[in-house]
Amino acid sequence: MKLEIQNITKSFGDKEILHGISFSVTSGRAMGFLGRNGAGKSTTIRCLMDVFRQDSGQFLLDGLPFKPWEMRIGYLPEERGMYQKNEVLSQLVYFAMLRGASRQDAARSAEHWIDYFGLGEFKKKKLETLSKGNQQKIQIAQSFLNEPDILILDEPFSGLDPVNAQVFKDTIADFVRQGKLVIFSSHQMGYVEEVCDDVTLIHEGRIILHGALDQIKRAEGKDKLFLSLADGREDSLVEPLRAAFPGLEITRTVEGLVLDTGGEALAAPLMRWLAGQELTLRHFGLYEPSLTDIFIQKVGEAA
Amino acid sequence: MRDFLTVFRYEFRSQVVKKAAIVTMVVIMAILLIVTSLPRIISLFEGAQDQPQPENGIHQAGYVRAEGEAQRLLETVLGTQARAYDDRAALADALAEGEVEVGFLLNKDLSYEALYQDRSMQDERDSMFAQALTSLLKEKKMGDLGLSAQDYLAIEGSAAIGQTTVLGRNSLDNYFISFFLLLLVYIVVLMYGSSVSSIIAREKDSRTMEILITSTRPSRLIIGKVAAAGLAALIQFGGIILVGVIGFLLNKSTYPPELLMLVSGSLTTTYLLTYAFFTFFGFVLYLFLYAALGSTVSKMEDLASATSLVQFLFIAAYILATFAAQMPGSALSVIGSIVPFTSIMVMPLRSAMSTVPLWQTLLAGALMLLFVAFFAYLSIKIYRWGSLNYGNKTKLRRIVKEALRREH
Repeated sequence: MKLEIQNITKSFGDKEILHGISFSVTSGRAMGFLGRNGAGKSTTIRCLMDVFRQDSGQFLLDGLPFKPWEMRIGYLPEERGMYQKNEVLSQLVYFAMLRGASRQDAARSAEHWIDYFGLGEFKKKKLETLSKGNQQKIQIAQSFLNEPDILILDEPFSGLDPVNAQVFKDTIADFVRQGKLVIFSSHQMGYVEEVCDDVTLIHEGRIILHGALDQIKRAEGKDKLFLSLADGREDSLVEPLRAAFPGLEITRTVEGLVLDTGGEALAAPLMRWLAGQELTLRHFGLYEPSLTDIFIQKVGEAA
Repeated sequence: MRDFLTVFRYEFRSQVVKKAAIVTMVVIMAILLIVTSLPRIISLFEGAQDQPQPENGIHQAGYVRAEGEAQRLLETVLGTQARAYDDRAALADALAEGEVEVGFLLNKDLSYEALYQDRSMQDERDSMFAQALTSLLKEKKMGDLGLSAQDYLAIEGSAAIGQTTVLGRNSLDNYFISFFLLLLVYIVVLMYGSSVSSIIAREKDSRTMEILITSTRPSRLIIGKVAAAGLAALIQFGGIILVGVIGFLLNKSTYPPELLMLVSGSLTTTYLLTYAFFTFFGFVLYLFLYAALGSTVSKMEDLASATSLVQFLFIAAYILATFAAQMPGSALSVIGSIVPFTSIMVMPLRSAMSTVPLWQTLLAGALMLLFVAFFAYLSIKIYRWGSLNYGNKTKLRRIVKEALRREH
């Protein structure tokens, strides 16, 4: 399956929030939809889910208009909540049935996901009696009901502790392995980097980056080397390096120095130069930027 | 249809299995059974006293002994079961101690004094005494004038002979029963209307709404909820009415004739159909209004003020109905019975109290159906609007405008 988001615009009152955004998502590859708070992630997802109607543009699935109500979709909204005063199992069965499952299948699916998250003992309890963490697991479980073909998760990691986040990541990875189409928005780069194959970066209602994560990283790291010292005193090297290699662009990061050679074959001369400085290197090699680095750089460029 | 049934079943189950709802219904049914059995219960206690009641109904009576004519009259009116006391003070003591419940003192000039320790609103033994005494005095006077007892009876029996024929409805006939049914509608609408609005407001407050509207169409959600509340009301209040009818039938033989007259009335099939139609669709109309208003609030605590408008509207309908009971043919009553928000109450009441022209009933019915359809549509739109609007309060007019525009 291929979901295409084409030239979507959306305004609230006089303010245009989405300025003709386009990107695509392919099944079997998790797509991280990134952006700062207020960038337009949730608005895009809500338009996709037909919660809002876009002003222009279209959503296509395999070339045909995307109709969410005709698909098996697992959706976790950013503002999530469930019936606090109702029994856990009964409301999950209800949600599954609303999405088209028979009563038996809905019950089977609901019980499966309750057990999967280790909450079997709470299935007959009212939701409000569960701890906040367990309530979050139930909310996530509702998005996995009925074996959805498409998973759309808006900020799924928010509020999850590391253990639950790991369980959740494993589940998403399973869905991806099964060839499902997975989109999730987040501004927690670490999780996205671990789970996603593709990323789309939105900033102020415009897509500023889209593609396969490894290719983006390679492209962003092209012609760059990374240097860090055991004693962490990389700053002392900046001026000597500039003097020795005038074409070298040097950027200081928290971990060390990023050296942009600008396409020149400087690795070998640099190695020789460093050897002559009698330094204790912690790391010297090709630079692979983190998603956080890319995010900060791209958002900075776009601002 | 399938989604509608799913919503309907879930909401219906939530409504009827609530412990509080079950307990309330059982308590109401028990109270109703007791109330309808009250005459029987009272008669059991009265039976336990095992005392024959005097024909004129003046029981548990005492009197102050008198002389001559006065004593004869007292004995005639009060019978042999009445207790005699020497003076007024002794009679007052007997009343205070509960030996007798009512006492009489007849003076020489045949004027009387009735004495009670405490007098209940329904106690009419003093009037009964006055009536019986009056008859005896009249009889005596006739005798003094040389007329026989037969002459007296003939004079007493001389009265205009005739009857009143009401070709349409006699409002007195159905007053009690139609007001009882009106009260029932009042309770049901307020109770279940509030229930529907709080269910929706809670969904919004707990942020369940977005999951729901991305799982199925808002129309199925709203109609499913309204239908569930409607059926729950029908079952719960149907149960109450059934218990009331059973209680009535079981105890009918013990009811005083005045009460039977009040309850029976002359309800026709036309009236019952009118009542059923306007009550059902009016109830549905109000449920949609409550549902729409429930969607406009972000927090549960704002619900009361949001629904106050419809509460006022409904109370106004009730007041108008009470007015219509007094003047069923007035212009205000006619208008009230045609406008859907008030016709829920006014039309059945007018129909019970007077003859409503067919065109008015048909017009009111058609308007009611149109309003139900429009407000169902509007409440779906507002529900959809409400699912995405949190925070600041918005004026109702703007909500309606935005909801109908559907730009979101």
